[in-house]
Amino acid sequence: MLNPTFVKQLTGLVGPQYIMNELEDRICYSFDATFIDFLPDIVVRPGSQEELIKIVKLAYEYKVPVVSRGAATGLSGGAVPVKGGIVLELTRLKRIIDIDIVNQRAILEPGVITQDFLNAVNQAGLFYPPDPASSKLSTIGGNIAECAGGPKGVKYGVTRDYLLGLEVILPDGSVMNTGNIIDGEMCGPDWTMLFCGSEGTLGVISKIIVKLVHKPQHKQTLLATFDQIEDAAITVSVMMASGVIPTTLEIMDNLTIRAVENYLCIGLPIEAGAILLIEVDGDPAAVSAHVLHVQKICTECGASGVKTAQTQQESDVLWKARRSISPACGKISPTKISEDATVPRNQIPAMVKRIRQIAEKYQLKVVIFGHAGDGNLHPNILSNKHDKAEMERVEHAVKELFHAALELGGTLSGEHGIGYMKAPFLIWETGEIGFTVGQNLKEALDPEHIMNPGKMFDYKK
Amino acid sequence: MNESHEHYEEWQKQLVKCIRCGTCRSVCPVFEEENNENTTARGKVKLIESVVEGKLELTAILQERISKCLMCKACVAGCPSGVKTDELFLSVRQAVVSKNGLSMVKKLAFTGLTYRKLFDIGLRIGAKFQNLVLKEAPDGRGRIPRVLLPGAGLNKRRITPPLAKHSLRSQLPEVSHVDKPRARVAFFTGCMLNYIYPKAGQAIVNILQRNNIEVVIPENQCCCGTPAFTSGDQDTGRYLAEQNIKALSEKFDAIITGCASCGSALQHEYGQILTDPWMKDEWQKISSKVYDITTYLVKFCDLTGLGTVDMTVTYHDACHLVRGMGVSKEPRQIFAAIPGLEFREMQEPDKCCGGAGSFSMSYYELARKINDHKLDHAEATGADCMVTGCSACRMFITDGLGQRSSKLKIMHTAELIELSYKAGEKEEK
Repeated sequence: MLNPTFVKQLTGLVGPQYIMNELEDRICYSFDATFIDFLPDIVVRPGSQEELIKIVKLAYEYKVPVVSRGAATGLSGGAVPVKGGIVLELTRLKRIIDIDIVNQRAILEPGVITQDFLNAVNQAGLFYPPDPASSKLSTIGGNIAECAGGPKGVKYGVTRDYLLGLEVILPDGSVMNTGNIIDGEMCGPDWTMLFCGSEGTLGVISKIIVKLVHKPQHKQTLLATFDQIEDAAITVSVMMASGVIPTTLEIMDNLTIRAVENYLCIGLPIEAGAILLIEVDGDPAAVSAHVLHVQKICTECGASGVKTAQTQQESDVLWKARRSISPACGKISPTKISEDATVPRNQIPAMVKRIRQIAEKYQLKVVIFGHAGDGNLHPNILSNKHDKAEMERVEHAVKELFHAALELGGTLSGEHGIGYMKAPFLIWETGEIGFTVGQNLKEALDPEHIMNPGKMFDYKK
Repeated sequence: MNESHEHYEEWQKQLVKCIRCGTCRSVCPVFEEENNENTTARGKVKLIESVVEGKLELTAILQERISKCLMCKACVAGCPSGVKTDELFLSVRQAVVSKNGLSMVKKLAFTGLTYRKLFDIGLRIGAKFQNLVLKEAPDGRGRIPRVLLPGAGLNKRRITPPLAKHSLRSQLPEVSHVDKPRARVAFFTGCMLNYIYPKAGQAIVNILQRNNIEVVIPENQCCCGTPAFTSGDQDTGRYLAEQNIKALSEKFDAIITGCASCGSALQHEYGQILTDPWMKDEWQKISSKVYDITTYLVKFCDLTGLGTVDMTVTYHDACHLVRGMGVSKEPRQIFAAIPGLEFREMQEPDKCCGGAGSFSMSYYELARKINDHKLDHAEATGADCMVTGCSACRMFITDGLGQRSSKLKIMHTAELIELSYKAGEKEEK
């Protein structure tokens, strides 16, 4: 139960219409795109940076947990208030403050919807590459807090690679500015990167500076078909080593192909072991040369066919296939557990093998697809959350997946973050010492443990 | 609580499919205005899940949340996991109503619907005396209340169309004969074409007759039931559905509708509310024969004889036409076939206009905001006239146009087609 004086003061800060504490509303703010939920005690929706600072100060005074939330589309439980307290809903802070075309920079607030920002940048004639699958709904603040990626990561990198500076409200309500608009580098360690991917555990992001790039002039999409998924996996490493870096390099295994074809009926090769969906971009001459190069490598590595989309429509159909994986799998099983364990590219064949073994061992339906160019496979376990026995097997399988990724020199998360779901395994990746350093950092910045408690280094069994 | 338990299994089938991805946030017109998770489909799904898990009762607040939905099916169409939120929310509304009851006004209104003859007489008397409570709106688009009418759901500035002096069915014979008909169809008029927009109803009959089709208007048809069952009054909805199925069970080649909600109810929703197996069988026999007038025209008639209409139009896809009956290509095909007509697509033509039956009565100001976006898009096309196949949309859009003194006109798709046929007739002479 919250202190009534605290609630009264909080209400005074933002106005009663931006406070919610009815059970029915708290339930609506108790979850994200994972399967866990914890009730917040109250939901607050500040409309300005000033309000935001006052809220954090008040929470600090009363030692109430503060959990920042954008659109709650995260896949690791980052926005779920596992210790209750305040859900700090930031979508009213949605101003794009400036898009500087000459210097290719933008300043914006955390609640801006990613797609709205992509559109605004596009209109200004520039390009902001990070494009997580949820970009139509996710917020930029959330993208930074989780260090979101996306299919274009192969060539263009992820959110981190575009971030120059942040304004962060620290747990006591003081305001810190990191980085700068020129080159992002402050003297000393890179503070901006400390907050990027920190999932709201160190402070609340209230302003963001990113860099923008030129739009590619031309694009071309190819579809390569393989009898064996191993050949597709080898193609990925060979291609990346050859020096031609595609914009996107996506893999879909046989089960995924079948699911999508069943859903869309667009003539995908359902007998294939795997397909690679490849996009190259650049100036028209370079694109033509890259297309030839990609075709050659695919064929040399054993592709049974390589098709280049001849029209925009053909290419749209191929990308629709990629985007439809989720609904296509939804038709097979109601619950989809999406992991993003990532391995070095040359270990993709080994990882695919391990995922297959784990699926067999626990008798689970697992589809494999993802951003192969980054080594970021998305093994998705298709199950039913009401089947308790099955969910227990899922839990074991997930643990083994993480183990396999780390054993192969990979990481727990390519882009979804650690949050609550992967927190128990974080120590496997960081090691004892790394974990202790993480805990000490958290302690130094947030001694009262009120910023998104129970996540990452603050997780306790 | 016990009464709603019977629904749990049915609800679970939908609940389990929701992966909470939040795609509904990007398509829901109510969320776009309110920016609150308590209005999204996934938010409501979570509330219902909490009820099933015993963590929440069917409270008044929950009832309010479930009511604050346009039933526009945008989340159903956009859901990557195929959660049938429309069916789910309908069922929950029913459970909530059987626990908490209906508002007095709705109870009276829906009971009225079940007495077909009395309802008809009531509305005819209403047509004569409506001026006592309603006065002409300043721009002549309709009427506004003289005084606040508590409980009637009429906002004081809302412009509503007057009841027609003579209802459609009172002007037409039960059978409109033609020589050597090539088909015999039933016309399910629905209440709005009958009592408010009889000209559009007449246009549908004329269009069919021009195509040498015999039109029967079965006398025993009554309200389709949508207002009742979408409000959770399943009993009234079912009763009306059964009456209509009986009225339409005679052998017809097709059943024609000119109202999105009526058509969608006859085609789909009846399947969800009927319980009697015999009735369900009967319904299945007729449901596949239900066509919106535009679909019927494109599918079974040739689009010849259309004359020049020198006009620029834009089109609003009514939710229950585009996502209910799957009608969106057909009206556009017809526009393309009308000589001289310039058709300009508006942005987001298939987004809800905010009318949504009683939604715009319960949440007038919110519905007005949603409607204003629609009007902005429509006006931006520079069209002279907005065309739509739904009288309920037309009614609410008319209010919006009046509120902003817009020059834009609005008409039913059938009226535009009729205009073109008339022009074609003149051209022949």
